[in-house]
Amino acid sequence: MSPDGEAARDALVRMYHVSKSYLPGAFALRDVNLAIGKGDLVFLTGPSGAGKTTLLKLLFAAEQPSEGSIIIGGRNIARLSDSAVPALRRRIGVVFQDFKLLARRSVEENVGLPLAVRGEPPRQVRARAFRMLKQVGLQHRRHDAPRSLSGGEQQRVAIARALIGEPDLLLADEPTGNLDPDLALEIMDLIAAAAARGTTVVVASHDQAVVERYARRVLHLQAGRLVEQGTAAGIDA
Amino acid sequence: MTAALWRALYYVRTAADGLRSSPVTSLVAVATIATTLLVIGAFGLVLKQMGGLLEGVGEDLTVTAYLAAPLSDRAARELATRVSTLEGVASVEVVTREEALRRFESAAGDRAGLLDGLVENPLPASLEIALVPGERTREGIDRLAEALLRLPGIVEVGHGQEWVETYGRVLSGLRAVSAALGAVLALAALLIVANTIRLAVYARRDEVEILALVGASRGFIGTPFVLEGLLQGTAGALLAVALLWVVFRVAAALLATSLTFLIGHSEPVFFSGAEVAVFVLGGAVLGCVGSLSAMASVWSAR
Repeated sequence: MSPDGEAARDALVRMYHVSKSYLPGAFALRDVNLAIGKGDLVFLTGPSGAGKTTLLKLLFAAEQPSEGSIIIGGRNIARLSDSAVPALRRRIGVVFQDFKLLARRSVEENVGLPLAVRGEPPRQVRARAFRMLKQVGLQHRRHDAPRSLSGGEQQRVAIARALIGEPDLLLADEPTGNLDPDLALEIMDLIAAAAARGTTVVVASHDQAVVERYARRVLHLQAGRLVEQGTAAGIDA
Repeated sequence: MTAALWRALYYVRTAADGLRSSPVTSLVAVATIATTLLVIGAFGLVLKQMGGLLEGVGEDLTVTAYLAAPLSDRAARELATRVSTLEGVASVEVVTREEALRRFESAAGDRAGLLDGLVENPLPASLEIALVPGERTREGIDRLAEALLRLPGIVEVGHGQEWVETYGRVLSGLRAVSAALGAVLALAALLIVANTIRLAVYARRDEVEILALVGASRGFIGTPFVLEGLLQGTAGALLAVALLWVVFRVAAALLATSLTFLIGHSEPVFFSGAEVAVFVLGGAVLGCVGSLSAMASVWSAR
């Protein structure tokens, strides 16, 4: 979907001529234009180094674009001040391949972290964390340390943490990269369920099986350029 | 309970967890702060003894007002009372002609026989005037001498002017050197503490990254680290005070003779309660500033 098209008007995410270079002349992303509608489930595909992770980092303001505009929920985040970043991130859930859980906190505390940083009372945080853990089937492990969980369980905890704040946008960077195929489908079911509930979801993945099974829309990147947009059929991850 | 209170409890708990989870790093930070403050404290203690020594020397500084020859002892005492009301005067002692002769004989020792041929005591009576600390300067003494010479019965005023100038120079030099050294030591302490705490922050950069990822503000992430710095600074300062006290007691006992020679009969003194409080507060501030500086470098590296 073009960012200027009719359907893009209600899009949650729009990118206009976005480029990102870490070194002069070496572009990680080059002139990317796209729009992602509310509730869409979109896959970013492409080989390693194609710019998938860079694009996701731009979306949660871990990086700033070298050129172009990024509009999320009507606000240009391309030149966001440091003090405005936390407010943006509270509207976005992020899931990583390596889970990024706090080793010194329990599973329940990890899941409740996005609410705790907003200053919600601990009792309320615990209750909501319990409900989220129930959704991902891990309520019985809530007092355990993340390290005692399997890879698949840790990723379910990470998804619960990403969704507990009811974000508008869920970003997942290779969420099944460390998991065997059965667990990968289990994790993708949870992510797809979030999209079905109305959360906009962007998943970076090079797992062809996952893309073919879940993708309704695929954005294919190559050498930093968005080369194809379409459905999973015919686009290789 | 309000959100602010929950947040405060979270900060305290996170800071305590941070200290517990990395005891070696925390101990290294406390030991570094203690060592640094120990050096500053030892320097402060030496300065304090030197200040006491100079203060003692200053107390020996007197201005002598020589009295007219026919003045009676009673008139001399009345004059002494008047002089004691003058600005800058701490105390006045009347030295009668007989007392002056006795002092001369005592000071002359074997050569006291020089006066044997004299029929009459040639020495005048005098007033020995001690000055308040703020007036132990050349200007203060000149002012007093002028006032004394205006009084009937006083014919001459004497004082060790050169000595006074040397005393003043030493005192102001010592103050300047101590201020400069203190500033250099404090800056060095700050850099050492900041670097030590920075290592602790880097060791937990994953935690910083994850908290930032879920929308925590810099204040939310940084406050527990600053609290840790405050606790480490306070613990380091208390440890430094305890070590200083032990070293001070041992040194005072071992060097009793040399110290008596150096600082006279006054006892060597440790820091007062208020000075210890300022020292510990300084350690706490050092820890806080070190943490803030470490956090600032983490943010700028992101």
